[in-house]
Amino acid sequence: MSFFGFGQSAEIEVYLDGQENRKTAEVKTEDGKKERLYLYYDGETVSGKVNVCLKKPGSKLEHQGIKIEFIGQIEMFYDRGNHHEFISLVKELARPGDMIAHSSYPFEFSCVEKPFEVYTGANVRLRYFLRVTVIRRLADIMKEVDIAVHTLSSYPEMNNSIKMEVGIEDCLHIEFEYNKSKYHLKDVIVGKIYFLLVRIKIKHMEIAIIKRETTGSGASTFTENTTIAKYEIMDGAPVRGESIPIRVFLAGYELTPTMRDINKKFSVRYFLNLVLMDTEDRRYFKQQEITLWRKGDKLRKPNLQAPAIMAGTQNLQNTAQQYQQTDDKEDKDEDKEGEEEEVQQPVKEDFLRVQGSQSTDKLDQSGDPFEQREESPKESPENQIHNMTREAGDGQNDNGNDSLE
Amino acid sequence: MLVLVLGDLHIPHRCSSLPAKFKKLLVPGRIQHILCTGNLCTKESYDYLKTLASDVHVVRGDFDDNLNYPEQKVVTVGQFRIGLSHGHQVVPWGDPESIALIQRQLDVDILISGHTHKFEAYEHENKFYINPGSATGAYNALDPSITPSFVLMDIQNTTVVTYVYQLVGEDVKVERIEYKKN
Amino acid sequence: MPATPPQISPVEEQEKYLHDALGIVKAQAFHMKRALDKNKLMEALKNGSAMLAELRTSLLSPKSYYELYMAISDELRHLELYLVDEFQKGRKVPDLYELVQYAGNIVPRLYLLITVGLVYIKTNSALRRDLLKDLVEMCRGVQHPLRGLFLRNYLLQCTRNVLPDAPDSDEGDNPEGTVKDSIDFVLMNFAEMNKLWVRMQHQGHSRDRQSREREREELRILVGTNLVRLSQLESVTLGTYQKSVLPGILEQVVSCRDAIAQEYLMECIIQVFPDEFHIQTLTPFLKSCAELEPDVNVKNIVICLMERLAAFSRRSDASGGEGSDVLQEVELFEVFSTQVSSIIANRQYLPPEDMVALQVALVNLALKCYPDRIDYIDKVMLSTVEASITLLWTWRLGLEHLESHSAVAKELQKLLKIPLDNYNNLLMVLKLKHYAGLMQHLDYHGRKSLSIYILNNALENETVVPTAEEAEQALTLLSTLFSDKNEQSVAEVDMEELAEEQCLLARFIHQLRSEITDDQYLILTTARQILNTGGPLRIKYVLPPLIFQAYQLAYKFRDQKDDKWEKKCTKIFQFCHQTITALVKAELADLPLRLFLQGALAIDQIRFENHETVAYEFMSQAFSLYEDEISDSKAQLAAITLIVGTLEQISCFSEENSDPLRSQCALAASKLLKKPDQCRGVATCSHLFWSGRSLAKNGEENRDGKRVVECLKKGIRTAKQCMDVSVQIQLFVELLNHYVYFFEKGNEQIDADILNQLVKKIKIELANLECSDESEQITKHFNNTMAHLKLRMESPDDKDVYRGVNLNPDLAEDDNSSKKVEAK
Repeated sequence: MSFFGFGQSAEIEVYLDGQENRKTAEVKTEDGKKERLYLYYDGETVSGKVNVCLKKPGSKLEHQGIKIEFIGQIEMFYDRGNHHEFISLVKELARPGDMIAHSSYPFEFSCVEKPFEVYTGANVRLRYFLRVTVIRRLADIMKEVDIAVHTLSSYPEMNNSIKMEVGIEDCLHIEFEYNKSKYHLKDVIVGKIYFLLVRIKIKHMEIAIIKRETTGSGASTFTENTTIAKYEIMDGAPVRGESIPIRVFLAGYELTPTMRDINKKFSVRYFLNLVLMDTEDRRYFKQQEITLWRKGDKLRKPNLQAPAIMAGTQNLQNTAQQYQQTDDKEDKDEDKEGEEEEVQQPVKEDFLRVQGSQSTDKLDQSGDPFEQREESPKESPENQIHNMTREAGDGQNDNGNDSLE
Repeated sequence: MLVLVLGDLHIPHRCSSLPAKFKKLLVPGRIQHILCTGNLCTKESYDYLKTLASDVHVVRGDFDDNLNYPEQKVVTVGQFRIGLSHGHQVVPWGDPESIALIQRQLDVDILISGHTHKFEAYEHENKFYINPGSATGAYNALDPSITPSFVLMDIQNTTVVTYVYQLVGEDVKVERIEYKKN
Repeated sequence: MPATPPQISPVEEQEKYLHDALGIVKAQAFHMKRALDKNKLMEALKNGSAMLAELRTSLLSPKSYYELYMAISDELRHLELYLVDEFQKGRKVPDLYELVQYAGNIVPRLYLLITVGLVYIKTNSALRRDLLKDLVEMCRGVQHPLRGLFLRNYLLQCTRNVLPDAPDSDEGDNPEGTVKDSIDFVLMNFAEMNKLWVRMQHQGHSRDRQSREREREELRILVGTNLVRLSQLESVTLGTYQKSVLPGILEQVVSCRDAIAQEYLMECIIQVFPDEFHIQTLTPFLKSCAELEPDVNVKNIVICLMERLAAFSRRSDASGGEGSDVLQEVELFEVFSTQVSSIIANRQYLPPEDMVALQVALVNLALKCYPDRIDYIDKVMLSTVEASITLLWTWRLGLEHLESHSAVAKELQKLLKIPLDNYNNLLMVLKLKHYAGLMQHLDYHGRKSLSIYILNNALENETVVPTAEEAEQALTLLSTLFSDKNEQSVAEVDMEELAEEQCLLARFIHQLRSEITDDQYLILTTARQILNTGGPLRIKYVLPPLIFQAYQLAYKFRDQKDDKWEKKCTKIFQFCHQTITALVKAELADLPLRLFLQGALAIDQIRFENHETVAYEFMSQAFSLYEDEISDSKAQLAAITLIVGTLEQISCFSEENSDPLRSQCALAASKLLKKPDQCRGVATCSHLFWSGRSLAKNGEENRDGKRVVECLKKGIRTAKQCMDVSVQIQLFVELLNHYVYFFEKGNEQIDADILNQLVKKIKIELANLECSDESEQITKHFNNTMAHLKLRMESPDDKDVYRGVNLNPDLAEDDNSSKKVEAK
């Protein structure tokens, strides 16, 4: 940080309280690399010590004051000059004066509000960092330390399944069902597709998880769609009456919680895209938004997911019949079922438990360890599944309508 | 050389078939010649004989329809001249002296005749006479108790050994009579 | 790269695709195994997944795909063994079951999931039930028929040794699973596989249908394995089989509405499950048969089952074990009979021949399982009659009979032959009330060939028909044989064939016989009544046996000598007379003549009241036929010879009757057309006057030497009229023999002189005869006669008798001697 190479200079080091035991999280940097950062949650106190080390011991360092800031900011990649700080807290560590020896300054931002989760996307980045500045006449000495912030949600009160009958008239009618509309990041999507009418020659069917990042507003809105995962769920052509199970483990993919209108700057939303491909390589698809959320470790009931791994698809049998029932009733049923199985099958825990932290370690960066031979998805004429008849409307699905033309 | 001598089957007029026990004895391939005294009555019976041996000689009986059968026939087997006649033409029927007339006419060593349905084999004035009887034991108005019979001649050089097979009750009885030519 | 790729045949193409795929499999398997050796599981899974990706191909035929599948499943064994080993050492890989599910493509993913699932089950049986459920459910993701079939086959192969087989119980939750879970598992897999298999039929172009069906044939064993698996579950009891296994299978079979599948699977069921189960589930099984697709060969299925159960029944009877109790309990026949009827009623498109074939099987079943229940056989006959009527009305409206070359007629023949083949007793068949009715549905040729079959059977087995009633039934059954085909002209009748048929029938008549004489009489009259309808062509064959039977019956009446025996005999001969007359009316001559003669002989023997008159009537009828109907000279000679021979045997005539008859014979003989015939005829007649008998002489021989010599002289005169010298001499030699015969018999009208003259005459003529075969024969005949005389003359007993006979007369005195013969 020395401009001229002479004169006194100093190195700033930030020590966070309890950092030896603090959890870390992997956060992508702007250039696509990943780094491990200390993980904080909303409302958590950020405290520690700032150590300033003089490079030339013995000579003094003259400064106009030393301060530490806690900043939460949103950076738009297309608008580098403008950072939107949604949090900016400052603490003065030292009054202007001369520093003769290494000095240490404790600091504390108590119960600091961290409303958003860190995020690095295609066009936008949301970060939290501590900035220590030794103010000097010519060149300040500065140190920035990024931290990771995860926003935890509690189990959603309303979590209806997504059910829908869609189709192309006289060609293809399907009913599909995803067991929930809101999934936590280590969750399993369990579902079923029921073919009511098949007059096209289907080659295969897959589910894609699509991330849609929207930045800006008004005329300068940028939307970036990224396919996070492609997952084949059916090979070959089914006939009328066939039902195909869906089970997608989310833990293996790089996902963030759904973010809606973060500080009026950007949104990150997720969609499940059901794609059918026919023998002439025409694609038929239907997108459904799902809400992703991060579950707090402490809140986790260890056995909760056990049934979802194997038996999950069977809970959805007779979809057609269930459609007749009211949503409320179904919700209750599902909840009950989950609890029952939880109690009844403690034995399963030894291999069925999904430990979020562990699985991230195991997984390859690509997200799909097996997809080596997969050719890149061919761009082919896409037919949206239109003529949609939407059923069981719950508020969550309204957005799904947008993708339809 | 085995020569089967039989006749007066009268199938289907008087009998439905040869006795099963006879059929069992009569197997193809063992007999070289068949001499039939007639009254086969049908082609089926003739065809049956043909299955037993290819050389079949038949003379005409009084109930034979087949006009091609001769009234009399002479067959030479080895050193024997054998005469064959059904015998209904000889009056009185079955009379040895009358039959001898035919022997003299045909100039044979052995004369075979039938019609009486009664087995006989005898030498008369150095000639040999055989009546094989009726192979089916067919009805005869003059004799209410007919025994089914046939004859097998084994001819070796100047000797003929005659075996007569008779069905008595359920059993087949065999007798042997030898004749030597002077 | 060449501008145009070389043409390669589809076979070569297949080989190439397969070869390429196997190459990749080999390479990836190699890497997988190396990674396993180094304990790098993730890497091994990646290689495994890459290997399995080969199974995603759509290029291979079922055969090639199978080869590929086999190669890959071999390699997967390595992975499985490695993992089981690791798990047993306690080195569990956490979340492996989840981990393999990240594979992006479903086919490799599910193969891995099954492999890993199996490892979990093997190392922790508490997971078994839920894992099995999960695996079979997840496999739904593969809807491509070929790939899906092999995937599910892999599932079935992997789980074959780990299926829970504990008896089902109500107590509590059993995570290891019970046999019920296995049944659910296999049934579900079966249903899904069957759907995939059936779906193959509807893919691709319709012109490839044949090859597609062939491919399906190749794959059917994969579907069938499910049923084999079910049959291997030891805890499947009869109860579970009835309640869940069979209904589960049948529901799928019926609902798949695919003929190939239905036919194969129904037969599969029969083959893989034990007979003890089949016997108790006949009704549902057969009900399902009725519901199968129209082009399913239901007949084969039902017959297959019947045959198995019939065999089972016989085995159990032999062992006397549990099975026989069950058999008594389950009315096998009743059940099959009911169900077969409903199959026939419900399956509109059942080919008629199949319908009858089912009845054939039903009869076979009844005969094997219930040999003494002839009513069962009759029941089948009846239902076949009913079905045939329906058939004729609905299918071939306007036709009265089933054409003999049609398949249904052939089956019907088969059906009708079974009772014969089985009982080998026509009488048993006659007890079947509906047999004849059923036979009526065959057309003329069909009925005829069956009639012949029946006849042959009765003849071979020597079946005796002992009552008039049965005789009537039997003959009515065979009535086709003595009726003409509609509007068939005589010219069209194949005479050889007719002769053959009628001979069979004639032979059979001898088997219509009763030991009771009165019954026998009834049988004969009944038979004649029926047989008379056959027309002139046929009665020639079938009436003679009746007549001879009647003659024999007359002897029996005589031997029984009951009060009315004479009346009965009269009646019989009346019967015979009528019957023979019928033949006369049919414009036959030779045959009735001989039959009359035979009758006369019999009458003479039996001597009932008034027999002479009757015998005379028979003889005179013979004479009338001779005179009126026989014109051929050869036939005339034969006939008169036979009449003479017969008359010679008859002794019952008084002088009043016998004299005209003898004279008539002599007259007839002398009236023969040809001189040699006349000569021989009168010579034969001579015997009538010598050895012939009559009442006048109290049954002794007539020995009328004068009349004898008259005949012989007439013979000599006639012979002299012959122009042909050799014939003349031949006749002289023959007459000489007759002279010698009577001389030896003691006819005093013949002396040595006469013989000497005749010998001399013959010798002179012989000397003049030209040398020829004929003359040689005559010479031999003469020499033989001379030799005979010589022998007699030399015999000490007869020496005196032959005094005066000169065998070497002086030939110069020929004139005198010949005059002398004439003078006498």
